[in-house]
Amino acid sequence: MVKRSLSQIAGPSALLAMLGLILSPVPATAHLVTTGMGPVYDGIGHFLLTPEDLVPVLALALYAGLRGTLPGRRILFLLPPAWFAGGAAGLAVDLAPGQLLPAVSFLVIGALVAADLRLPVAVLSALAILLGLIHGFCNGAALKAGSGMLGLLGIAIMLFVLVASVSAFVISLKREWTRIAVRVAGSWICASGLLMLGWMTKGQV
Amino acid sequence: MTRILPILFALLWFGLSCTGAAAHESQPGSMELRQLSRDRYEITWRAPIYFGRSHPARLEVPDRWQDVMPPTERMLPDSQVFRRVMSVGEAGVEGSLIRFPGLERTITDVFIRLHRLDGTIMTAVARPSKPYAQLRGERSWHVTARDYLGLGFHHILQGVDHLLFVLGLLLIVKGRMLLVRTVTAFTVAHSITLALATLGVANAPLPPLNAAIALSILFLGPEIVRSWRGETSLTIRYPWIVAFLFGLLHGFGFASGLSTTGMPKAEIPLSLLFFNVGVELGQLVFVFTAIALVRSFRILEVRWPRWVEAVPGYAVGSLGAFWAIQRTVILIGGMIL
Repeated sequence: MVKRSLSQIAGPSALLAMLGLILSPVPATAHLVTTGMGPVYDGIGHFLLTPEDLVPVLALALYAGLRGTLPGRRILFLLPPAWFAGGAAGLAVDLAPGQLLPAVSFLVIGALVAADLRLPVAVLSALAILLGLIHGFCNGAALKAGSGMLGLLGIAIMLFVLVASVSAFVISLKREWTRIAVRVAGSWICASGLLMLGWMTKGQV
Repeated sequence: MTRILPILFALLWFGLSCTGAAAHESQPGSMELRQLSRDRYEITWRAPIYFGRSHPARLEVPDRWQDVMPPTERMLPDSQVFRRVMSVGEAGVEGSLIRFPGLERTITDVFIRLHRLDGTIMTAVARPSKPYAQLRGERSWHVTARDYLGLGFHHILQGVDHLLFVLGLLLIVKGRMLLVRTVTAFTVAHSITLALATLGVANAPLPPLNAAIALSILFLGPEIVRSWRGETSLTIRYPWIVAFLFGLLHGFGFASGLSTTGMPKAEIPLSLLFFNVGVELGQLVFVFTAIALVRSFRILEVRWPRWVEAVPGYAVGSLGAFWAIQRTVILIGGMIL
């Protein structure tokens, strides 16, 4: 059983360096979604059509579902507010993340699902807050020119619905092979993260 | 069903405050081009009043089109009507692009109709996600179907009052079969009146209709509380009857989102069918999301404080009361003026 937190494993300075890299500013190339149904739905549309945000959230919900009801509830009530808070901060700045953020998110959370690691609930909660703050921050920066704060509200609502549905679905899976299927999905997400990192190294992203 | 309350309440509340759909501000606009002679057209652009102000979208026609007389503008209670007579030149209107700058910042759809001298009619829809339309020949049936399917879907998801009524029903209904029966009754009822209104058989003026729809929501508030207390009533025992009766009212409301004035007669049944399918799809998305959330909360063993569980029931009643008063005031104001 893994008892150490991420900061203990990697060291606080390594985590700070990683955060700095993830948030390193690049010209904003956000794609905004106009649904024609108001800013809340625009935010929901933006989230659903952005795999860089959607897939890590799905992966985290899968992982929470594998871990059980308590982790599921924690993610459910921590991720949306953290995302919203990060987004509100992001609305105030003019930078957009590089491609490292989705790649790292895919890799780390996908690996957690694939390995079915038994992280303590506190660590999982910290991971959810971190993911929410960073991705939310980037969303906020992207939505600044579009649906703004109301778009973030839409995203937070969508996150809540998605995390509740997916984690509850995984918890309801009783047969052993279904849990393996969830872990296989995690391995694909992890592999996608690796590929993205590889492309970045080759300068193709 | 009560476990779902906080989330659905939040969903509706944000939708209400953000889309403004609760006050039926999503009335469509319309633009009509009527051919007067070989190269001359009368253009009427009706921009609906948008949240109490002039609509932010404006009409932009191709540069080569020239006004042949001064444009006119008329202010109506529900819209602003701009009229122009233009010469479109030798090239005619075929292939011309009509733009609506500013439409992308709104939730308004615009129906465009071109009446030619030979009696043929072309229709198109511009919407915020595609604030332009190309005037080109007759449209294939699947393009029309797709447009009206999208319109219906948008209309129900923007109509917070309709969704709040469905939520009220969900809060009262106990049991899967009763739920199916209630949702089906609502669907059948509003399909009947939507069809009657669209085909011009029956008509309901908007101000009293909106007030009556608000009353239907208000009516559900006390019924929800009664249901929580374990009491019974006709609505609690037979919610499908209430769903059917009030569904008839809501159908007239849906019809306000589907303007068929001047539409080719052959196109009306198709547009009506797909508009209704779009409405049903939107309603099903809402109902299935609600059911999925209820199930998820049960599996995740989420325990809400009692006051949180009570909020949405009271919200249905309070918002129903608020809209009923607001719309009655508007109705009486309109009658006095």
